[in-house]
Amino acid sequence: MTQKGFTLWFTGLSGSGKSTLADLVYDELKHRRGLKVEKLDGDVVRTNLSKGLGFSKEDRDINIRRIGFVCNLLTRNDVIAIASAISPYRAVRDENRALIGPDRFVEVYCEVPLEVAIERDVKGLYQKALNGEIKGFTGVDDPYEPPLNPEVHINSGRETVEESFHKIIAYLEEHGFIEPLGESGYSKEEEEAISAHLEALGYL
Amino acid sequence: MGLFRRLRRSKARRVCLIGLDCTPHSLLERMMGEGVMPHMAELARNGSLRRMNSVYPWVSSVAWASFMTGQNPARHGIFGFIDRDPATLKTFIPTATHMKSRPLWQILGDAGKRVVVVNVPVTYPPQPVNGVLISCFLSPSLEKAVYPPSLLPKLQELGYRIDPDPWLARESREKAWPDLWDALEKRTKTLLYLLDHEPWDFFMGVIMETDRLHHFWFELMEQNDSVWAPKFFELYRYVDEFIGQVRERLGEADTLMLMSDHGICSIKKEVFYNRWLHDAGYLRYSRPPEEIKGPDLEAMHPDSVAYSLDPGRIFLNLKGRERDGSVEPADYERVREEIAAAAEVLTDPDSGEKLVRRAYRREELYRGPYLEQAADLILAPVDGYDPKGALWKPHFTHKDQAMVGMHTYDDAFLYIADHSLPTDDLSILDAMPTVLQLLDVPLPADLDGCGLIR
Repeated sequence: MTQKGFTLWFTGLSGSGKSTLADLVYDELKHRRGLKVEKLDGDVVRTNLSKGLGFSKEDRDINIRRIGFVCNLLTRNDVIAIASAISPYRAVRDENRALIGPDRFVEVYCEVPLEVAIERDVKGLYQKALNGEIKGFTGVDDPYEPPLNPEVHINSGRETVEESFHKIIAYLEEHGFIEPLGESGYSKEEEEAISAHLEALGYL
Repeated sequence: MGLFRRLRRSKARRVCLIGLDCTPHSLLERMMGEGVMPHMAELARNGSLRRMNSVYPWVSSVAWASFMTGQNPARHGIFGFIDRDPATLKTFIPTATHMKSRPLWQILGDAGKRVVVVNVPVTYPPQPVNGVLISCFLSPSLEKAVYPPSLLPKLQELGYRIDPDPWLARESREKAWPDLWDALEKRTKTLLYLLDHEPWDFFMGVIMETDRLHHFWFELMEQNDSVWAPKFFELYRYVDEFIGQVRERLGEADTLMLMSDHGICSIKKEVFYNRWLHDAGYLRYSRPPEEIKGPDLEAMHPDSVAYSLDPGRIFLNLKGRERDGSVEPADYERVREEIAAAAEVLTDPDSGEKLVRRAYRREELYRGPYLEQAADLILAPVDGYDPKGALWKPHFTHKDQAMVGMHTYDDAFLYIADHSLPTDDLSILDAMPTVLQLLDVPLPADLDGCGLIR
């Protein structure tokens, strides 16, 4: 199967598990399945592509449009683009969906109860926002608009990371974005090689 | 360095478990007594070394899957190195994707413990863990065996190998010997590197070369072959030295465990149960038999009553379950009893020795939600008569010149430092809950094994 480009867009509150899942899916697609993949992490993008942008609604929209622009370039050249950014506003996410093409845009909504995200507070940002040290923080004093119809809905408060990861991979396989592995996780050639190994050991 | 390590690591409790695949308790006792394994002997003086039972059937995939889940196969879903979909009769290789239960390292990860897991069978494809996981010889390549993939360049630099090449041993022992050593040295070097450089609460590495050594050299050791017996023990001296190096790296709060997954004995004959089923009128072929390769069940004629997969698993060709099944469900018990009774009186055509110790109905061995996937009968062989699964062979029994060792059930071993283990009836299912006990992690409710720390 020839590789088809698509954009996997992770959206959700800070602490909802977007980056963790994006990293796992990236490793799976790039290293285990040997596909061409690029990753655009919101925090990383803000240090280069969107350096200097702040967190006003206007700046946030520009940031998300830029990520969408790069995802589109990759996708149309049949590279898989994995974006993970809070991307709180529905309208801009939907702009990106329209730009990239609805049949090549897979939105992964990482839902997490706010109290769980605050409790996790991996980057210590919620505490600062609650103390008033950061203004306009999504979920605290800035809105998050959840997707109305995401392709994949993760609930990171209730699912294990493995369950969420498998849910995403299953969606991509079932909808023809990536080729399913055989039942044992092998391509045909790999299964033949492993069978030969087991045969030499007398197990077949 | 040793003192520094002990000081540095003296706080949290950790467990280091080294697996010696296929190493029998009886052989360890002999080698400790004969001075081949002085480190092991020293460890035995400061801990408990016990004989341990494996599982049915006693092959590494089933045994290690039972270890890592603390459950019997009807719960974890791994019944052999090969399995079949009865609806299509297509065979497949069970991997971690077929595992129905969470392994030890996932449970430890949930409890916040960092793990390093290397070369445990049935860990391919590598699932994400809190730490490092390098899969077993079911991995098609090193690139696909490693989690996280960022560790790959270091493993390549260390020359780490998934497995020795068993085809070399099929060609000649002389060719296979340097390859076996090469894989062993790279594995031990890598394990020591990971012990030194990765943080861990639970460290586990399995040495697979002991199993390969036994399959292709065990009989020569038992016969005291003038060339190979000394070489056999030379390899174990190296393994013992490695165990000593591991021990030297552990601190006061660390517990060392060692275990195998089954034992080994010399093969008198390989026994091809499909050939017996064929000769007894239970199995027919839809193609000329000489064209059938390996366990190709699709070449079975729809009129067949039963077929076998390695090692000694017998399935009825059951209507409603198997594609083109022939045995009516109402006849299931009668046919199964008939085949079990016939199997239990089979003898070696040359020596007259019994081949089957007992034919077990699956419900006698297993309990759990996946019982229906198990073979209808599991033949426990008499030691020395190795059950094989090829659909067709020109002979019922055969003495192979390359493959000279077969697994045994009741001669695996378990060692634990600084603790006292019960003396009898240890099962490989007990090792996983024991690790959880040592790390103060609550035991899941659905385990079949029990923690051995009193």
